[in-house]
Amino acid sequence: MDFNLQEDSPEMTEFRKEVRAWMEENMQGGEHLRWSASWSTREDEEEYGFRRALGEKLGKKGWLFPMFPEEYGGAGLSVDHQFVLETELSRYGLNLTHIFYTLARIVAPVLLHWGSEEQKREFLPPITRGEIVVWQVLTEPQSGSDVANCQTRAIRDGDDYVVNGQKVMVGHHLPPDALWTLVCTDPDGKRHENLSWLHIPANLPGVTIQHMHLMMGIKNAVFFDNVRVPAKYLVGGENNGWKVAHTHLELEHGGDGRVGTDPVVDRVVDYCRNHDVGGKPLIDDPHVRDTIADMILEINTVNRMNRRIFWHRFVKQPHAYGGAQFRYYQRMVRLRNGERLQKIMGADALIPDHGVHEVLDFEYVIRSGPGQLHGGGTLDTDRLIFARRAGIGRATKEQAPDTV
Amino acid sequence: MDLRLNEDQEMFKKVAGDFVQAEAPTTMLTQQFLKKETFLPDLYAKIAGLGWLGMLMPEQYGGTGLSYLDCGVVFEELGRGPVPGPVFSSGVLAAQIVLDGGSDAQKQELLPAICGGDAIVIPAIGDHGAHWGPETVATTCSQSGDTLTLQGTKRHVYDAGGATAFLCAVRGGDGGVSVVLVDRNARGVTVTPHTGFMVSVSEVSLDGVQVPAGNVIGSAGAGWELLDKAAEKAIPILCAYKVGACQEVYEFTVQYTNERRAFGQLIGRFQRVQDHCVELSIHMDRARMATYETLWLLDEGMPAEAGVHESKAAASEGYHQACSYSHMVHAGPGTDYLHPLMVHSVLAHTLYQYLGTPDYHKRRMVDALYPRT
Repeated sequence: MDFNLQEDSPEMTEFRKEVRAWMEENMQGGEHLRWSASWSTREDEEEYGFRRALGEKLGKKGWLFPMFPEEYGGAGLSVDHQFVLETELSRYGLNLTHIFYTLARIVAPVLLHWGSEEQKREFLPPITRGEIVVWQVLTEPQSGSDVANCQTRAIRDGDDYVVNGQKVMVGHHLPPDALWTLVCTDPDGKRHENLSWLHIPANLPGVTIQHMHLMMGIKNAVFFDNVRVPAKYLVGGENNGWKVAHTHLELEHGGDGRVGTDPVVDRVVDYCRNHDVGGKPLIDDPHVRDTIADMILEINTVNRMNRRIFWHRFVKQPHAYGGAQFRYYQRMVRLRNGERLQKIMGADALIPDHGVHEVLDFEYVIRSGPGQLHGGGTLDTDRLIFARRAGIGRATKEQAPDTV
Repeated sequence: MDLRLNEDQEMFKKVAGDFVQAEAPTTMLTQQFLKKETFLPDLYAKIAGLGWLGMLMPEQYGGTGLSYLDCGVVFEELGRGPVPGPVFSSGVLAAQIVLDGGSDAQKQELLPAICGGDAIVIPAIGDHGAHWGPETVATTCSQSGDTLTLQGTKRHVYDAGGATAFLCAVRGGDGGVSVVLVDRNARGVTVTPHTGFMVSVSEVSLDGVQVPAGNVIGSAGAGWELLDKAAEKAIPILCAYKVGACQEVYEFTVQYTNERRAFGQLIGRFQRVQDHCVELSIHMDRARMATYETLWLLDEGMPAEAGVHESKAAASEGYHQACSYSHMVHAGPGTDYLHPLMVHSVLAHTLYQYLGTPDYHKRRMVDALYPRT
């Protein structure tokens, strides 16, 4: 076993030096980007422009998807390179593609797995090079966790599909270039056999996007009104969408794997060192220390679960329940940590601190706590998936789909 | 990063796993736990013969000089039994105390005997049951010439049943803590097994016990530092044992969800039952991941203090919680003392506070990471 996240082989030491030097050079003027994420609503146009440009520069080097083949916009590198890139970017609180484009990190592997050669050559490079923003667009007013109950219809008409319907609570506050979505292509067909995946350019006539103001920040409603989508944009075959969904949802439901860490504990400790009660720093209060201990134990576990998934995925080791277990636990920990922040800081924790990035802001951690419990499927779906994968109440354990 | 065991470790795992199935089957363990006869001399001799006592000890002292990870892999399998007896308390913890603190002569005399299974040396540290730390040492030690006289009662001594000697923490006239080797058969030593919801724990009373002054291990007055440092190396091995126990509990719990029917279907089809299994798995994996990372840190010679305390907190709490969730799944049948869950449940309660409660270790973890100002 080897748990080292820093020491590398001589070749990787050189690569790490190269990445670190590159990041130092290209992050100049982008200090605001530290700990940034694509869903922040505090980012102004200039900051957004910087982030996009950084993503494109990384993409041009193939570093957003280092393990993807070069012909699809990757760099054809090894898992060790990916690991070095992930750890170096996490020093800035960044996380490869996830940070730049909503869910490209999920869309691209699914396309790589299910797309035709023509689709891979057309769709992948702009995504993997960070040139376009793709949104995952799945939730509908009447189908949340029950995503197979999709009502948005795409009916074949000549060389196009005509799309009508509505998706909700998707994307973020800045506009997308393409939408990656599940549609019903056979309204009379059997459940799970009536769905297809469509890649929809966001600028097609009939697509309307409206902001929704939610607890976690800005999301959107997307309306499709007789949108004509070329049939060649259907991925994975007509009425085969549920199988494509398996790959997609496995990645979304914790099967993705990251090596970065959550900095919340260090920030809490900083606060406690700099705030006194009755002349004594909060950090010396035994109750505060006990609360911090619980945060550390849980966050360390979240980080270790995440790294374990990363390793299983990229070293191609079989894994079963890890994704669902991680996703359930991570979200419960985040919710509990919200309450712990209030225990330690009281009302201070509820006031936005504009001096830090939103993602790091205690107020955001607390406010997003209940909301992040169900993004991409409720806690209950995670536990259901766990039960299937672990073989609870069933003789055969369901296998995790291949996630590329 | 690599989460695989190496070839040797895979072999250790296989050998230890087969040994547990053959030599310590569940049906035998449930009977032994019910009778509270958990020191099994024949089993202990076989374990000694396999070289599993003193795995962390250098070969010159009769040990096998293996890595922490190697040793952890074997203890994880032993925990699956769970194989009882002083394999950890004598073969790992006491051996480490002697190795770290003993004189050359003491090491030559004690360690080969511990590793061979002839001597079973049991740490008897705190006088009180509830806590762990230097303040729990109350047994007094007064010196007259070359003789020490010990007076006090060690309330909860784990694995005292098979002991040939004790490593007693005592308080000298100057208030300092020392570690003293006391023969089990010395006049004034009484070992009284506890009843109740635990196993393998006895009260050891020391009533005017006289031992030679040469029996002090390490420097007089520096006993707690010696114990603390030795425990830091030994504790992750105990955690691996509990991780194996959690794994066993997890597996037979999942199996039960596939066998037991209620309301016309397998109980594993009920989401409430599934939820118990999810929580059980999280406690198991949390303990497993912290423990193995810490074993690796120790092998690499990197700072491991916070990891040791984190592992102990996670493993003690994890084993306890794993059993609780398993009880929720098993309901009535799981409360029969002849059910394997009861073996684990009793042991999980016994080990919860052994060498410090989870809360104690959480605080030590925070102290290691963020020292008080």
